[in-house]
Amino acid sequence: MSAEFLLEARQVTKHYGKFVALGGVDLRVRRNTVHSVIGPNGAGKTTLFHMLTGTLGATGGSIAFDGQDVTREPAHVRVRKGMARSFQVTSLFPTLTVRENLRLAAQGVNARRAFNLWRSPQGHWSCAEMVDRVIERLGLRNQERTAAGSLSHGQQRRLEVGMALSAEPKAIFLDEPTSGMGIDDLDDMKTLIADLGRDYTVVLIEHNMGIVMDISHTVTVMQQGRVLVEGTPQSVRDDERVRTAYLGSMITGGRK
Amino acid sequence: MSVYLLQTVNGVGIGMLYFLLAVGLSIVFGLLRFVNFAHGVFYLLGAYFCFEAVRQGMSFWAALLVVPLFVAAVGWVAEKTLLRHVYAKPHEFHILITVGVALIIQELVIVQWGPLGDSVAVPTGLEGVVMWGDFIYPKYRLFVIGVTAGLAVLLWWVLEGTRLGSAVRAGSESPEMVSLLGINVFRLFSLVFALGAATAAIAGVLAAPIRGVEPFMGIEALAVAFVVVVVGGLGSFTGALVGGILIGVVQSVMSTLWPEGARLMIYVAMAAVLLLRPNGLLGKGG
Amino acid sequence: MRRNIDIAVALGIVVALPLLLSSGSLASEVLIYALAVLGCNLLLGYTGLLSFGQGIFFGLGSYTIGLMLTRTGLPMPLALVASIILGGLAAGLVGIVSIRQKGTYFVMLTLAFAQMFYFLAYSVPSLTGGDNGLLNIPRPPLSAFGVVLWDNTTAWQFYAMVAVIFLLVFVALHRVTTSIFGRTLLAIRDNEVRASAIGYNVPRFKLLAFVLSGAVTALAGALNAMMVGVAPLANAEFHVSEMILVMTVIGGAGNLAASLIGALFYVLAADWLSTLWPRWLMLLGVLLVVISLGMQRGLWGLIEDGFLALTGRFKRTGEIRVEEKQV
Repeated sequence: MSAEFLLEARQVTKHYGKFVALGGVDLRVRRNTVHSVIGPNGAGKTTLFHMLTGTLGATGGSIAFDGQDVTREPAHVRVRKGMARSFQVTSLFPTLTVRENLRLAAQGVNARRAFNLWRSPQGHWSCAEMVDRVIERLGLRNQERTAAGSLSHGQQRRLEVGMALSAEPKAIFLDEPTSGMGIDDLDDMKTLIADLGRDYTVVLIEHNMGIVMDISHTVTVMQQGRVLVEGTPQSVRDDERVRTAYLGSMITGGRK
Repeated sequence: MSVYLLQTVNGVGIGMLYFLLAVGLSIVFGLLRFVNFAHGVFYLLGAYFCFEAVRQGMSFWAALLVVPLFVAAVGWVAEKTLLRHVYAKPHEFHILITVGVALIIQELVIVQWGPLGDSVAVPTGLEGVVMWGDFIYPKYRLFVIGVTAGLAVLLWWVLEGTRLGSAVRAGSESPEMVSLLGINVFRLFSLVFALGAATAAIAGVLAAPIRGVEPFMGIEALAVAFVVVVVGGLGSFTGALVGGILIGVVQSVMSTLWPEGARLMIYVAMAAVLLLRPNGLLGKGG
Repeated sequence: MRRNIDIAVALGIVVALPLLLSSGSLASEVLIYALAVLGCNLLLGYTGLLSFGQGIFFGLGSYTIGLMLTRTGLPMPLALVASIILGGLAAGLVGIVSIRQKGTYFVMLTLAFAQMFYFLAYSVPSLTGGDNGLLNIPRPPLSAFGVVLWDNTTAWQFYAMVAVIFLLVFVALHRVTTSIFGRTLLAIRDNEVRASAIGYNVPRFKLLAFVLSGAVTALAGALNAMMVGVAPLANAEFHVSEMILVMTVIGGAGNLAASLIGALFYVLAADWLSTLWPRWLMLLGVLLVVISLGMQRGLWGLIEDGFLALTGRFKRTGEIRVEEKQV
């Protein structure tokens, strides 16, 4: 295990019966970088995320995080080790307020304390400091007492990222954070992610090449359950195989 | 003839009825994502309508054909008028509305036929036993095994070999896709629900001459259907078959060894299967 | 402010019952079933678990106290504690097997286990009295060190004891549902997958909720056995599980005071209607259908909406949770 790499995944496979979703993926993510995973639909990007974060169990391979083997550990344990994720399809607590959503995420790192049947989450137990910080960073101060289900789509996507942030993780896994967003929201999100890249290690699945090319340090291209190419944004953009995989049309974005 | 052979054959007979009960529930769940807690009252209605029909002079054979169609119609109406409106709501309301419907129907049965049970005569031609050398066995029970086996084959053919079956199987994977293919999903739902009701009703009709009718038979049928589905695996046709026969045999054999505990052993068997195979014997993975 | 309303309502009803009803047994029945509904509500309204197995714990509570009081010399308070503990343990057992399963499987399993318990009770008559149940269960006075603190001979005296126990449990559960644990349950109800993804061991939380629910329901069963003097096999029937669930839904899931309203409604309706029309359960079925179609927040929801319409000032927006009309 190298101290340079926060996350090392080796030969990760996932089978659904006879269907091979992942056919042996290697991924190494350097600390404090933004590492993007891109690829056509069906490449297995979200499946890979599920394996890395423990949302689903891998069929084979190994995953090491911060020097520890986490392959067999369920999602809620990996959170404690410093992994946090957002979801491609918005997955919040819809009837709870923004503040409460974030408090739950902040509390989740220390989930054993949540077995407290006696104290209500106020004062010392309210994680208020962390929640306030995240709300400021997300720009959701005005919505803090609104139900998460009532937010606009863009606000929900930001809250999705905020949930991961509240865990004060070592690595944040963002699954298509900008999906469905309009132009105004997009710029805010791009700034937010670039910002995050300074303080955390960010692993990002994205289709928006403008974001990927501009803010990533490393780009891994996946296709049909395997890694096709990996390298700097520039080298990936120029790679023939990548152009073929995307039918040559999509990686033209980015403005430095 | 050995008691154990007798009980095993009995077990297969009961098991086939349990299969019939469970398969309707399983198919409905597969497509509608709906556990129909009113499934038991369709069984109940099947038995009672048969009882009434026979009492009014209809032949058992006619009842066997007509009653399930009638109950299917009841199911169709219930789905169209009531159940359809809760599909979008949280799943507890799917369950609760069917519990409500079940309560209403059960009470209506008691209003009409009283709270005590009654018996249904074995149809003429099937009374008495067959004797093949050492093997002595009631004719009617053999008939039940035959009919349910035939129905199993028929259902299998419908599911695997017809367009309707394909639509049901496809819809179980993805209702959205099915509607995109131009099939009227709502009509499909009603049809499948009615089919589920019909299979439960047939089980009720067939069971009536064996165990009579009584207003609370629906609840026990529901619980057993659940056990079979859990043991066999939700959504699996063969699972319902294997599970049904297994549970039936367990119950029958136990009724010789420990009569009071026979019914209990069904549930113990279920718990045992669950501990070893949480998805049921043949269930699809979670 | 919200929290105090629940307790105020509970207190109000407990005090009002002796003034409005003529039968102490009926009043006790309301509170006893309310306890069972509180247990069911903790599961359904707060954790999102639909359990058809509450009859297991209700019956177990009845049998336990029956056995303790008729066959051992255990003082009544300890016998009650024994019932509570056994209820919790049983819930733990059932929970461990059932909670592993998702959504609908869980519901079906609770029903199957309920049936299992019924047949188990039926097949060990030495412990349960089988078909007849356990008979001649006494209603001992509350005493300590030989001094009688509270006589339970009359129905209203017993009601007073039940009322105190009920209020204690109510306040305790109130504390639990507003605690960090309770708030986590709400998150699990809203979105299990996310709760797990942010660090919570969801099955463990569900199990604890289930154990608490079993304990409270067993307490209700024990009090019930003392009240009627019998621990009947019927207490373990599917019907009991069904009715507890019905009361929970009618009152309104997700609110503790609503549990009391649901039990009150049911017990009074049963008492009044059953003499008028033996098949009154049909109306209950209709009510269930109506609630599923349009009145998901139950009677409590109706009351809240009424207040909102009248005063315009009563806010349903709490610090953590906003009630959405559509779901």
